[in-house]
Amino acid sequence: MKPKVAVLFGFGINCDHETKAVFELVGAEAERIHVNRFVSGDASLEAFDILAVPGGFSFGDHLGSGRLLGNRMRFSMRDALMAFVNAGKPIIGICNGFQVLVKTGLLPGPEQGSSPDFLQRGSLTLNDSGRYEDRWVTLEFDPESPCIWTKGMSRIECPVRHGEGKYVMPTASDIDRLALNHQLTVRYVDPTTSVGEGITDELLPYPLSPNGSMRNIAGICDSTGLVFGLMPHPEAIYARWLHPTHTRHEPGPDNPGLDGWEGEGLQLFRNAVEYVQQRS
Amino acid sequence: MRDVRGDVVRRQLNADHAVSVTQVRSICGYLINAEASSEDITARVDDLFADPIIEHGATNTMLLTSDAFPETPDAVITVGFKPGVTDNPGKAATDGYLTLFPTDVGATIATYLTYVFYGLPADCDVNWLAGTLHNTLIERALVAGPEECQTRSWPEIQFPTPPEQVFIEPQSIDLECDDATLEAISNDGLLALNLNEMHAIQAHYRDAGVRAQRTSMNISPNAPTDVELECLAQTWSEHCKHKIFASKIHHVDHETGEDTIVDSLFKTHIMQPTHDMQEEVDWLLSVFHDNSGVIAWDDSWSVCMKAETHNSPSALDPYGGAMTGIVGVNRDILGTGLGARPIANTDVFCFGPPDWEGTLPENLFHPSRVLRGVHAGVRVGGNESGIPTVNGAIVFDDRYIGKPLVYCGTVGIMPRHLPDGRPSHIKTPVAGDIVYMVGGRVGYDGIHGATFSSLELTEESPSSAVQIGDPITQKKMIDMVLEARDANLITCITDNGAGGLSSSIGEMAEYTNGCEIDLAKVPLKQAGLSPWEILVSESQERMTIAVRPGDQAAFEALADLHEVEATAVATFTSTGMFHVRYNEATVAYLPIEFLHDGVPQLELESEWNPPVQESFVPPADADHSSLLEAMLQRPNIASKETWVRQYDHEVIAQTAIKPFVGVERDGPGDAGVIAPIHGDPHGLVISCGIAPRYSDLDAGAMAAASIDEAVRNAVCVGLDVDKMAGLDNFCWPDPIESVKTPDGRFKLAQLVRANRELERVCRAYRLPCVSGKDSMKNDYGTGADKISIPPTLLFSLFGDHPDVRQSATSDFKFSGDVIYLVGSSKQELGASELAYMMTESGSTAGIGGQVPQLPHPERNLATYRALASSIRAGWVRTAHDCSEGGLAVALAEMCIGGRIGAFVDIDGTGEANVWGRLWGESLGRFVIAVPPQHEAAFLSAMKGHHTTVLGEVVDDATLTITDGDDVLVSMEVGNMAQVWKGRLDLTGGMV
Repeated sequence: MKPKVAVLFGFGINCDHETKAVFELVGAEAERIHVNRFVSGDASLEAFDILAVPGGFSFGDHLGSGRLLGNRMRFSMRDALMAFVNAGKPIIGICNGFQVLVKTGLLPGPEQGSSPDFLQRGSLTLNDSGRYEDRWVTLEFDPESPCIWTKGMSRIECPVRHGEGKYVMPTASDIDRLALNHQLTVRYVDPTTSVGEGITDELLPYPLSPNGSMRNIAGICDSTGLVFGLMPHPEAIYARWLHPTHTRHEPGPDNPGLDGWEGEGLQLFRNAVEYVQQRS
Repeated sequence: MRDVRGDVVRRQLNADHAVSVTQVRSICGYLINAEASSEDITARVDDLFADPIIEHGATNTMLLTSDAFPETPDAVITVGFKPGVTDNPGKAATDGYLTLFPTDVGATIATYLTYVFYGLPADCDVNWLAGTLHNTLIERALVAGPEECQTRSWPEIQFPTPPEQVFIEPQSIDLECDDATLEAISNDGLLALNLNEMHAIQAHYRDAGVRAQRTSMNISPNAPTDVELECLAQTWSEHCKHKIFASKIHHVDHETGEDTIVDSLFKTHIMQPTHDMQEEVDWLLSVFHDNSGVIAWDDSWSVCMKAETHNSPSALDPYGGAMTGIVGVNRDILGTGLGARPIANTDVFCFGPPDWEGTLPENLFHPSRVLRGVHAGVRVGGNESGIPTVNGAIVFDDRYIGKPLVYCGTVGIMPRHLPDGRPSHIKTPVAGDIVYMVGGRVGYDGIHGATFSSLELTEESPSSAVQIGDPITQKKMIDMVLEARDANLITCITDNGAGGLSSSIGEMAEYTNGCEIDLAKVPLKQAGLSPWEILVSESQERMTIAVRPGDQAAFEALADLHEVEATAVATFTSTGMFHVRYNEATVAYLPIEFLHDGVPQLELESEWNPPVQESFVPPADADHSSLLEAMLQRPNIASKETWVRQYDHEVIAQTAIKPFVGVERDGPGDAGVIAPIHGDPHGLVISCGIAPRYSDLDAGAMAAASIDEAVRNAVCVGLDVDKMAGLDNFCWPDPIESVKTPDGRFKLAQLVRANRELERVCRAYRLPCVSGKDSMKNDYGTGADKISIPPTLLFSLFGDHPDVRQSATSDFKFSGDVIYLVGSSKQELGASELAYMMTESGSTAGIGGQVPQLPHPERNLATYRALASSIRAGWVRTAHDCSEGGLAVALAEMCIGGRIGAFVDIDGTGEANVWGRLWGESLGRFVIAVPPQHEAAFLSAMKGHHTTVLGEVVDDATLTITDGDDVLVSMEVGNMAQVWKGRLDLTGGMV
């Protein structure tokens, strides 16, 4: 069975082509769908198994990144999104898509067992540097996270490309609650630490943490682990030839796809596709 | 929560002006004109205008008076747009408002920003402070100093309501007058038409046949309407017709005694060589006539590229000017063939020195402000459009204070054939097709851009020439257009750039030999525009697209889906006429042939005497380590990382060689490489070359060096030299002799020499120029105060890379790798970066001497082919172009990239003395490194080409350069990285 992936686009989303491509590389059937086709009912979200909200600059980030597209979804696709989440179907938001999911309230979402309430609980705000930057970072995943997207993944390198990636919540206890559920799925880490020992709550200096995010948070999931969002771009390292130092390493057949050139970000998408396949 | 927006202002005041402020806070303001009640809007503040987690929101009161601002500030400055200026956040806010209040369709929202200062130094003038925060051409500022703050009397900003536009009925303009009056008509109307051209227009309206035809159309028979005169001025502008490149030039060379006529530099030196090459290869699909040049990339895809300049608008408003530059050239790609998708940008800027301390001529911004503004405009334009910036350069010279150069390039990709089988690079309109204007609306902004850029900058330069781009409106349009293309709905498409509808529809009408436009149908930003203004306005984000009448419904449905405005405004005909109506009344009726071919050829004088420069004579002895430390901090050499890192260079997940390489990802990339088809490592190389200072000795050598540099940069990453194409973008000072330009003959001779070298080198390299552009009025002021830019050619290159996995980068990799110099060093220090540095500091008398030459380009090509093949064979993983700063700087950059040392001996690297070998900028050279196991294969491939062992990569993190037994340079790599990276970091620190 080929899971069907809806890749949203329109209004300034701009990573829709590569997001579609990475799902197809891991065996899904992906389609770019304009937001307005869901809003108007011309396309049905129910017909899809996975929803991806790619990166970009929806509405130019004006009035806060993700705010305006988030509102379109919150007010015009509410029932469809609610049904999608309640049906246990995976959703991913990358970069601007993550910002959108946070501003719609789908992330981090309500406590376990509740339906989405579309209440904003956290935010993504301007990087401490005040600058948009394209910079490669090292990420480590919480192995105990319920997130179905990151199962079995430990550490990857990929780029951040954002000006508003600093994840904040009103109080420390808000974050504590997420941490307790292992919803702080992915963090920025110092690449000189050992794999598995990079995650820390102590703020890492710039540029190890590119934005000053609370507790170095790079991405979070909801209580079910099905809805996941992150600022960095795992799809940008679907192939090793996209790594900034690929000319320094002799290629070797030590990984599954692309003639030994599969990049370490692709596993994230494969996880979701396999999750859907195993459920059906 | 930290107020980063305010803090950025604080840091920049410190970085640019050494003004230290304790704290700056910011308020985003929204002025709402709407039907909904104040209570209803107040209830939704946190849904739209304020982020409930991180911001305070309030309505109908000043946030300043609330608990959010408990302490009394020292100054409050509010900045908003002037009426009529594009307000992108305002537009987005209006859009978001309609999501919440869908029935309130007449609502409009304007935005402003308030900066609140605490701990301002007592001697800091608040009006000066306001001046650093806004551009008076497009913005207004309200200022409250310490006294007003004490009394809490903060001025409130009002909604920017544009003044009523007065609709002026089309009128005819009598040209039966004397020459002085003709010239006055041109000058007063900002038409930029010379007397010959005015005569040609006058003659047209004296033709009996023309008069009879016009009488029958009920339009002024003996005189042009204002619509026609404006239309002709746009179409015949230097910007659109490239009259200098098309001119007949009498060229005299006092060095050689040559005395000849050149009939069109463009046809002779650019077009002819490319057409000759087109006979020999099958991959040159479309050259010169479309919005960009198209080459076949493989059986399924073709690629195209175009570069433009946006110099004058960027001088007036660096942010808006540069942004419209980048989004404008994106539209050239979208308007190529039946529509190509923009997939990569290049940005090359030339500025005055960022630390300029001299006096600034009136109306010119400080170079650091130009740099910041241009950079921000291109950053926002490129990033928000989702197009990666993969290559570029920033060049500094005092003379660019007079006019910054802002080159913006874009690469596009399109399927070779559309689903219905039509080749995508060929436009297929027929008479009867309906012409749509798609995207933005037409406004008063952008009237006279094309003619304005053909005039020099003066104090009276019109603010309507400045626009701010709207990348999101354009992104929606691009999404929509590409879907329309793939649904086979498009028969013809072009960009609305210079000259607006008059140029876009006028040029497309050549395909069918006629069109009929109704200007009354054109949607306007603001009522009241006169017909001529509608026709020539250059308002942004618009494409002109033709569809078959039967496809109109499908096309309009697609536009609706994407929320893109598309309006049928014209029909193609075969009448031979450019026919413009306003409702039923004919307001312009011009023969297509006269419109496009009626402009008389210019006849110009050119005279070459080599410029006299004091010779660069370096001292007998020097501390080369200190020189290297100083050279690494030259703005032309120093790392541009803080600036370039703010461009998204890898959206689309295709960038295989990025602007940054090496272990710390901060070494310089020589060229960009992309693999645009996901899953397929087939690549495309994108590079550039620019060497403006060589023009101080010989503009011909400048051109040759620019082309060679572009090719070398591309070879460094593994280009297939047998499939590459180039773009020539000339930026020149006015080369027409006149009272204002007494040295016009010399400047034209520089242009002649540059073109001749362009032809010679491109023919030898089998490098066809497929598209190009020129900007010929890059001067400021008159007389003694006149500033003319150095004649500058940007040469951009795009070419094939069979497999991006087999690329090289500039960073040294592993100790033991053997370092070679490919090419040889000649005694060529004239106009070198070292010569400029030592002359500016007073150590030497001048920059004169031998400028780098390219005597045998065909030999270079053979060497490049051998080197690129060695890279693609996997033998060479390290290669770096040797250019500004010569071998010493190239080696330093390679050590920085690898954070590893090198031990190098420059003995035997060429005929030059030690200065020439270490610092000279001879062309055709590379520094490369080869792992020992591949040395034999590499040397065998390079047999017959200059290849000299320099030394090896070493674990000790020091760069050591010797000349035989003499140690010339010894410098620690960490130290080199620090000085090289620190120089242009104008961010003002992190916290």
